[in-house]
Amino acid sequence: MTGLYRPRRAAEWATCAVAVLLVLLGLPLLIMGAELALLGGSFYYVLAGAAIIAGGVLMLMGSVSGALLYLLAWLLTWPWALWEVGFDGWGLLPRLLGPTLIAVLVVLTIPVLRRAQKTSLVRKGIA
Amino acid sequence: MSRRDLSAATSLCGLLLLSSVAGIAPARAQSAYQPAPPGPGEADAPGKAGNKFAGPSPFAPQAPGVNAANIPDGPPAEPGEVTPAVEQIGSHPAHGDWPAYGRDTDATRYSPLEQITPANVGQLTRAFVYHTGSKPAPGQVNKWAAETTPIKVGDGLYMCSAMNDIMKLDPATGKEIWRHDAGVKYASIPYTAACKGVVYYTSSTVPEGEPCHNRILEGTLDMRLIEVDADTGKLCEGFGYHGQVNLMKGMGESVPGFVSMTAPPPIVNGAIVVNHEVLDGQRRWAPSGVIRGYDAETGKFLWAWDVNRPDAHGEPAEGQHYSRGTPNSWATMTGDDALGLVYVPTGNSAADYYSAMRSPEENKVSSAIVALDVKTGSPRWVFQTVHKDVWDYDIGSQPTMIDFPGQDGPVPALVVPTKRGQTFVLDRRDGKPLLPVEERPAPTDTDVEGDPRSPTQPWSVGMPRLGLPDLKESDMWGMSPIDQLFCRLKFRRAKYEGEFTAPSVGKPWIEYPGYNGGSDWGSMAYDPRTGVLIANWNVTPMYDQLVTRKKADELGLMPLDDPNFKPGGGGAEGNGAMADTPYGIVVSPFWNQYTHMMCNKPPYGMITAIDMHTRKVLWQHPLGSARANGPWGIPTYLPLTIGTPNNGGPVVTAGGVVFVAATTDNMLHAFDAKTGKELWNDVLPGGGQATPMTYEHKGRQYVAIMAGGHHFMMTPVSDALVVYALPENK
Repeated sequence: MTGLYRPRRAAEWATCAVAVLLVLLGLPLLIMGAELALLGGSFYYVLAGAAIIAGGVLMLMGSVSGALLYLLAWLLTWPWALWEVGFDGWGLLPRLLGPTLIAVLVVLTIPVLRRAQKTSLVRKGIA
Repeated sequence: MSRRDLSAATSLCGLLLLSSVAGIAPARAQSAYQPAPPGPGEADAPGKAGNKFAGPSPFAPQAPGVNAANIPDGPPAEPGEVTPAVEQIGSHPAHGDWPAYGRDTDATRYSPLEQITPANVGQLTRAFVYHTGSKPAPGQVNKWAAETTPIKVGDGLYMCSAMNDIMKLDPATGKEIWRHDAGVKYASIPYTAACKGVVYYTSSTVPEGEPCHNRILEGTLDMRLIEVDADTGKLCEGFGYHGQVNLMKGMGESVPGFVSMTAPPPIVNGAIVVNHEVLDGQRRWAPSGVIRGYDAETGKFLWAWDVNRPDAHGEPAEGQHYSRGTPNSWATMTGDDALGLVYVPTGNSAADYYSAMRSPEENKVSSAIVALDVKTGSPRWVFQTVHKDVWDYDIGSQPTMIDFPGQDGPVPALVVPTKRGQTFVLDRRDGKPLLPVEERPAPTDTDVEGDPRSPTQPWSVGMPRLGLPDLKESDMWGMSPIDQLFCRLKFRRAKYEGEFTAPSVGKPWIEYPGYNGGSDWGSMAYDPRTGVLIANWNVTPMYDQLVTRKKADELGLMPLDDPNFKPGGGGAEGNGAMADTPYGIVVSPFWNQYTHMMCNKPPYGMITAIDMHTRKVLWQHPLGSARANGPWGIPTYLPLTIGTPNNGGPVVTAGGVVFVAATTDNMLHAFDAKTGKELWNDVLPGGGQATPMTYEHKGRQYVAIMAGGHHFMMTPVSDALVVYALPENK
């Protein structure tokens, strides 16, 4: 698990793209979220941003734990969203719709990451 | 005195000293601070050579085009006596007519027609579409929002186009019977090319059967009163100067588009009462907001009510003008023939967001209802809805007259909707509230020096509030966590202490309710049989910030009388130079400026029915669907009722149907008056930002809506009047 893993097949390229997407989406959450927290606002965004970026970076390194970290953040978003707005559909929309669509993509990367992790371990074993 | 005050004072002294030593006046900034209206010759006349523009002298002669029709004025007139009037049709409308803007002089927007009912409204089809021909030409900035409600009297449907042409249409076919070309020029459009309606007047001196016995009156964007014959559309020679009156007389220096009429002037006991819009945000010493009376028969001047010249009711002497910068009234006024009063909904003094330069007289009558005696022009009573308004909470709605159920029988009452969503119910005889009004503490914390806020503001606690709770960070909205976070950050970066958060220079402040309402010019509808009041209203916060003069200059904010002013650069609803004051104003909706989605979660518009016997809400729900709105202005076509911003009033009929367009989904909606259930809707060719009306002709009931669109609401502009009816073979 040293350095970035090198994508070879289409599925691996797609996984890589999802990981990059996570980092790109996580950055504004982290930066604006930090300012929000400093101004006395919600801590959710800075924490979510950090988790998503970490997840993306781990995925780029070929680790399945990156995907699992995103999914954990996504799962925890649900009780937070319900705590903030209850069962108000319009209120839940921005909090859950996008993250859930991305969760689907992330779930799809898990088998690819598993395989990558295995080959990398095998390679390490040989070396 | 704080250290900051002291240092400001010393530096001011230093400046004065310096300039006196050097023997020159300090170079004036583009819109230099002017604590008092400039006297003759004190300020630059427009076009005068000089590196900096300090604003024209109000004493400068009016430039060509300001008196749009070149009507000779004659000497200043003394207060006059009105020609005795006959009873007007608006006070006793025929069953199938809609003879006034608000249907009748009470402004109820209630029609006794009952052919269209909740059971058959679903079958409405278009009877005809009439095109007024008024919309932006290619290359013109779209400033259109016709806002027109036609009137119907006898065999004619009378209306004006957005640019003030007057038309008589066949009520059954929409065929144009005559058209009077008003010749209003594009430069005369203030913020909006709008003509809310025309006025029907029956002469007391011209016998029936002769030309101009029945007349159509309108006020124009370029400040004229025009009277034409109702049968032929020809100017009435006996009125004013060949049918027209120049309302720029006595106004002092101005430029086209600075002052204009967009609302129909009521005729009360023979007196036409004239108000006008003064373009917001330009300069402190803008032209006057004077209210004037003119003889409906002859066009002769009757009186003026000029806030800072309270005892002078005549026209200003030669070379003088009405007092500058006084509160203007742009809403439709309501006339009360029985009490001899006109109820004037007032706005703010010029430079809406800075109140340190207003006179005590102005502070007493701004954002208020002022009941003027139509014989003399003197106020009989004043009821103020906002003290020292710096939120542009001017009253946009036409008040509605009702018989309020009192302990000893009905009381003549006035229902006053406001942008705050507070609805005040007043006794028309003395202006006293009939339902409790509480003075409640208001935020006073402000970094605007020398401009303290009122410690309290009035709340109409006896009426349901047309508003939602104060904003919280978690109310911020978006499509995704990222744009939602952007709005949460905007919310936290701003100053917000609930309603009446005081203006601030150091950071933006949130104005909520926004200046679009609550209730704006659409006003309310009242069914006098059932005592049910119908109101549609907005939930649209604003994001405001005062900016120093230096910053305002950097932003290029300048008043429209500045020689470098470019149209489209500022206006009533946007950033304003507020020249002559220390600050400019930056205003935008509280939205995500990249996606153009509002920052607060839906709904953005609501409709409410209130039982005036119990003052309980009968029904209330979001108004308008998401179909034509979406991020980056892309229509979503979602048939979901989200509740959109809305401009334009409701109509209620004896048939039990409420018609309202107004929403940014560009639809005309019909609701069950009893339950509020949406029964029918239809997509219009443009935004329906107008109040609909209904009438009967030859046994058939019609519903008309001007689908003119609204540039600020970003709805499509069109010139179509769309008229519906039930299929004929039913």
